[in-house]
Amino acid sequence: MAKRQREGDEVGNTPTPKKARRAVFEDEVTDTTAETPSKRKSILRGTPTKANGTRDAGPTPTPLKKVLFSTPNKHQSEDEIGLDTPTAARNDRSARRKSAKALRAPVADEYSDVEEDATDARIAAEILDSEDEDGDDSAEETIGVSHTSKAPDTPSKTGRPRGRPKGKRRERTPTPPPDLPPHETYFFQNRAGANKTSTNSLPSNILLNHDNFRTHIEAYQDPHELDIRRLQNLHHRGFDQWVFELEQGFNICLYGYGSKRSLAMSFAEHLYHQSEKPPKIIVINGYTPGLTIRDILTTVAAQTLPKSTKPPAQPAALLDLTMSTLTTRPTPLTLVIHSLDHPNLRKSQPLLARLAAHASISLLATCDTPNYALLWPLTQARQFRFLHHDATTFAPYAAELDPVEDVNALLGRSGRRLGGKDGVAYVLRSLPENARNLFRILVAEQLALADGEGFPTTTAPSGGLDSDVESLLGASDEEAALQDTPSRRGRKGRPPKTKASKPKPVAVAASAPEGVEYRTLYHKAVEEFVCSSEVNFRTLLKEFHDHQMVEARKDAMGTERLSVPFGREELEGVLEELV
Amino acid sequence: MEYEKGYVFQPKDTRPAKKRKTESQGLHASWQLRKKAYEEAWQIQNSRIEDALASIHSKALEDVTTYLNEIVETPLPSRIPTGIVLSGPGSASSNSLSSRVASSVQSHKRRLYVTLDSGSAPHLKAVLKVLIQKATASVAEDEDDDELATISRKGPRLLNYDLQILYEYVRDRNIEQVVVSFPDTEALGSALLSELLELLHSWLDRIPFVCLFNVATSVDFLQQRLSRGAVRCLNGRLFDAAPSSAEAQLVFSAIAHPDARLWVGPTLLASALERQSDYIQSIDELVDIVQYAYMSCYYANALSIFLDPSVKSDSIPADHFEALRNLDSSKAFVESMIENGNTTRARDLLESNDNLLAEVQEQMAHGKASLTKMTTALDVVRTIQDTLPNTPTSLKSNLFIQAMTCKLRGSAMMRTMLLSVRKAQSDVAAALMGSVCAADIADDIKEDITSLKGQLAELVAGSTAKSQPLRSEDDIGSSTVRTTVVAQKVHLSKQKSQLSKQDAAYTEILRKFSDHLEAYFDSSFIDPQSLPFHEIFIYDHKSPHREVFTPRPRHAVERALTSPHDYLDCDCCAPEKGEDGEATLSSTQPAAAVLYQLYLESGNLINVSDLWQAFQAVMGGEKEEGDLMVLFQRALAELRYLGMVKSTRKRADHVAKVAWRGL
Repeated sequence: MAKRQREGDEVGNTPTPKKARRAVFEDEVTDTTAETPSKRKSILRGTPTKANGTRDAGPTPTPLKKVLFSTPNKHQSEDEIGLDTPTAARNDRSARRKSAKALRAPVADEYSDVEEDATDARIAAEILDSEDEDGDDSAEETIGVSHTSKAPDTPSKTGRPRGRPKGKRRERTPTPPPDLPPHETYFFQNRAGANKTSTNSLPSNILLNHDNFRTHIEAYQDPHELDIRRLQNLHHRGFDQWVFELEQGFNICLYGYGSKRSLAMSFAEHLYHQSEKPPKIIVINGYTPGLTIRDILTTVAAQTLPKSTKPPAQPAALLDLTMSTLTTRPTPLTLVIHSLDHPNLRKSQPLLARLAAHASISLLATCDTPNYALLWPLTQARQFRFLHHDATTFAPYAAELDPVEDVNALLGRSGRRLGGKDGVAYVLRSLPENARNLFRILVAEQLALADGEGFPTTTAPSGGLDSDVESLLGASDEEAALQDTPSRRGRKGRPPKTKASKPKPVAVAASAPEGVEYRTLYHKAVEEFVCSSEVNFRTLLKEFHDHQMVEARKDAMGTERLSVPFGREELEGVLEELV
Repeated sequence: MEYEKGYVFQPKDTRPAKKRKTESQGLHASWQLRKKAYEEAWQIQNSRIEDALASIHSKALEDVTTYLNEIVETPLPSRIPTGIVLSGPGSASSNSLSSRVASSVQSHKRRLYVTLDSGSAPHLKAVLKVLIQKATASVAEDEDDDELATISRKGPRLLNYDLQILYEYVRDRNIEQVVVSFPDTEALGSALLSELLELLHSWLDRIPFVCLFNVATSVDFLQQRLSRGAVRCLNGRLFDAAPSSAEAQLVFSAIAHPDARLWVGPTLLASALERQSDYIQSIDELVDIVQYAYMSCYYANALSIFLDPSVKSDSIPADHFEALRNLDSSKAFVESMIENGNTTRARDLLESNDNLLAEVQEQMAHGKASLTKMTTALDVVRTIQDTLPNTPTSLKSNLFIQAMTCKLRGSAMMRTMLLSVRKAQSDVAAALMGSVCAADIADDIKEDITSLKGQLAELVAGSTAKSQPLRSEDDIGSSTVRTTVVAQKVHLSKQKSQLSKQDAAYTEILRKFSDHLEAYFDSSFIDPQSLPFHEIFIYDHKSPHREVFTPRPRHAVERALTSPHDYLDCDCCAPEKGEDGEATLSSTQPAAAVLYQLYLESGNLINVSDLWQAFQAVMGGEKEEGDLMVLFQRALAELRYLGMVKSTRKRADHVAKVAWRGL
């Protein structure tokens, strides 16, 4: 049971070079031949019960007998460790080791037959050892103490390469095994393991800004234009059916990839022309930024309520009033809601469901996300009374999306409303001197911070691969850092020596603050006579907030931190312009 | 227009608002006619379903209303009178008991009915607001003169969650009862509910509250959730509402009503009922499914025009008759007619539309009659199961589905049932015969069975041992197994125990009876697919229903993005031959599709820079970078919009994968 010993050492973190092992081993074996008996006796007889802190005294007697017969070495060594590093063994917190220990103990205990016991124990030990092999191979020399003869002891150990064969572990096959049930597919696609991505980053100027985007998109000719039109015409054939379904009190929900806006609009056109007297059709653009349920309800109420009534302010009350008015004076209304599942409207689905449930309101809604059906619990789904139609159009989401801004937001380059550096410069030009100075301080501080913590990470010998340039701001997530540290240590099983000698780059990254602390910035600003009071400071900051040039965030400690949401290059550019 | 929040639609082209003349072609030409027929047919069917649902709730509804009336007459109770309706899951549907109670209460002038559902109740204040607002709003509409009274109230302005408002309202209008109903009791927070009840209790001396709980689980559970104080405030009475499974059976029998114009087929019905019991538990959905079946049949099946019994041949376009002649079942019908030597009739059918129409109507009437006969036979099966001891009664819908798919005839269940009939004792047999005779079966069989019944009655009357019923010979109890050992061999000999003469006669009668039954069932359980023109009056397509009621949007989006050819049907993106059906990346595919497929290949974190480079490589290098970047940016934004990627702060220029394919 050599591993106990090793564990003790591992916990104690004594650096043991791997290479030395063989040599030491030989030495020990030769000189213990004489010494061991006495040593052994003393250990076993002197402390049979308190041998091991964590283990019960039960198993110890059996190994005592065994010493006399076939394989004394292992058990003895085990007890010896108990004396050597009792605290280490006791304080061993590893669950896996504990369970291994627990497994081993009864095996030794249960059998009365000594011979059998010995072989069993050995087998168990071997199995467990081979499992633990990859843990750490240091401190092998202490085992040697107990070795009387080295030959029959652990033949399997020497025959095999240590540890799990490299690269054999969790091979990621790109193609999943066929016919997996859905949940297994999920785990297959989402399994843990190395997620190696390179550290390449997009050059900051490669993403198009609005102007360039527009010129390019206007010049672009979609090769599938004809097919898309044909697809749309295919959907047009369903119009009569849809009219019929709406008439019968059902509501329609269109789903599928591609913008369904124009499809829904041409349906509205169709509906308008085919009915005897022009119907009232209300169109709601669910994707409009800042749309609220109140906007929808007031639009609907404007068509239903008599002019004299003053609509209540609360959406629920407004809805109630609209519904009761519709019940007393039924006016058929057709509601076309684009992007019903848009984040704008996700919270107000209950109200919309109630509205849609009214007999004189027909609803044609489009949904874009693939999981939209999960928005509605059973009762709401009942109220909507939807018939779903697949309306895949492949049309670009021209009105729904602003690709430039969305991609910027996605990549965290949120020069959001501002259009990057130039926009900032433009805003700053219109601000007073003090504000500009404050911004300069902020940017400079942020850059300094980023430099300060970027340094150890990049110079670290091997940690660089993953944790370097965590982000341009040095903004490394705590999450990421936490995830990185243990996995690396455990997985790669580096010799502890190098580990100890290496500065902990990841830890530094973990503590890396993101952005400038509010207090610090304030004091700096006061020092440079940018502002005289905190109120003053706040007003200056507010201007930046309004233009989304500054983001405030609370870190794990609860301190408020301010940062400018730009990449490093842009920050430097801004700083240059300001200075 | 596309950037406005909401607006009233105005058509773009200024065509005259007159109805566009869309002269529909071909079989669609009769749509207006069919629509009228549909409306008529569905209206009848719908009212039948409504009646069925009303009847099932009528008793419970009566109980609740009488309870509410009783409370009005008892002055000042010390605890809140509470009706607890055990309704099982799915009770929130519009047809359920609670909504019926609501409408009956609302018909009273001097009573208020307030529904408090879990959605409107995050905390006590909000609940009270809703309660007061709903209570005071509900009558204000039609009593305009009273409005002044509330406005001219003296004193300080009250907060809108003060029950004083409600009290004044109640006092001013002489309201004699305020019913507070909780349709989804389980969904309300228990602390909130307890608080609310205690508060209501403290106002009970001024406002005559009554609570109605709709309980989907059990009363014990409700009591457990309430605080002890709240429980002490209540004085409850229990009402049993019909569970939704019973509702489903009722709706089913309305669907399979003999007068139904259209029969819903077994596969559709089976899937609907299964979904009903497994997922939804709401009767409305089942009704919707039936309605949609009617709609689809009349809309998509041009021949449904023949379903209207009063249709005249001159109002039907000629091509409809051609279509009718080309039906599989109609071809088979004519062929069998020729085989039987009835060639002139066959020629008539092929040549004259009038003759064909008459024949169709006759055959359809006949077909429906046989279906009706089948459902009656199902009823007989169920009565026999009821009467026989130790036999579970099957659900009618299950039996119907089995019968329609020809699985009932000769099934194990039927055989066991007939066997147990043969073993029945005389008292059971008499009851069986009585119930079978009472059923609506063909006259000849009825006569036979009645005579058997008479014989049996005579036999029983003449029997000496009156106390004991007669036993059948087939009954196991009347035979004994005897074991004898002869020359070390065991002989098993079955020996009929001594049967009296009456018993023998009884066995004879019973055997005749079961033979009659078997013959009756055999003749009733026909194969509906063998009926001529069954395509017209049996609607049994899964297809539009599955997509329309249980869509798979995720699958649709994934499919569109992985194999856009399936939708676009373009020449350029067709999957290459020799591939195993798996679509491959090609530069001609839409940008989002290419990007999505690259996305599928990556792990949980995606480096956008690498993604861009891969995208560039796939889309072809000869294009200018900006032109590609436009597509890339747009596609990436689309992926984000569809909820496939989200931003991550773990690494710079990375995005996190959120959606996995094929789940």
